[in-house]
Amino acid sequence: MVLLQPDPFLNELTSMFERSTEKGSVWVTLKRSSLKSKVKRNKMTTAGEAIEYRCLIRATDGKKTISTSVGAKDHQRFQASYATILKAHMTALKKRERKDKKKSAEGDKKEGGVKKPKRV
Amino acid sequence: MVYISSWDEFVERSVQLFRADPDSTRYVMKYRHCDGKLVLKVTDNRECLKFKTDQAQDAKKMEKLNNIFFTLMARGPEADVAEVTGKEQIDAQPTKKGRGRKQ
Repeated sequence: MVLLQPDPFLNELTSMFERSTEKGSVWVTLKRSSLKSKVKRNKMTTAGEAIEYRCLIRATDGKKTISTSVGAKDHQRFQASYATILKAHMTALKKRERKDKKKSAEGDKKEGGVKKPKRV
Repeated sequence: MVYISSWDEFVERSVQLFRADPDSTRYVMKYRHCDGKLVLKVTDNRECLKFKTDQAQDAKKMEKLNNIFFTLMARGPEADVAEVTGKEQIDAQPTKKGRGRKQ
């Protein structure tokens, strides 16, 4: 397991997606973690220290595992880049069928046709 | 474990599961390009919630769930996720308008 900085992690994740297009899957796990051992955590708790939690992100394609972590300050930037990568690579999913769009349009018309308010 | 078919139920129950035990709950996404399948899983090693899809529109919903979990995990289980979902606000506005017109 390699712990990377967020940006190299995203690059590596991108190549994982690219490598697994023909066969294979990609797993991404999100978990809340303090990145400290249980012993250390217990010591900190007894000493009355606050434990800082971060969001640990792990990714694997079954052969290689990479990980990174983001804290409260930097998670927003990371999740935006992560979302962009997902959008760019999840291209095998089916597009929506335009079935219920007609229905909702008709519903709108009906609502719009309600009698005009009387002027007093 | 059976898959949950309703997206809203999946979101609600997975957030509940996380809040009940933040330290041991994980959120896993599995994407298989060759089959065009996406599986989401949330588990605390006692209970397991899964959602499976092959629809592109569900990937958009997943993005919101990702944001919820990033926020909850990085900021803590008490963090307010209403601003990341943004769904309630959009839903609430039209009903308000409707009520105003009737009077």
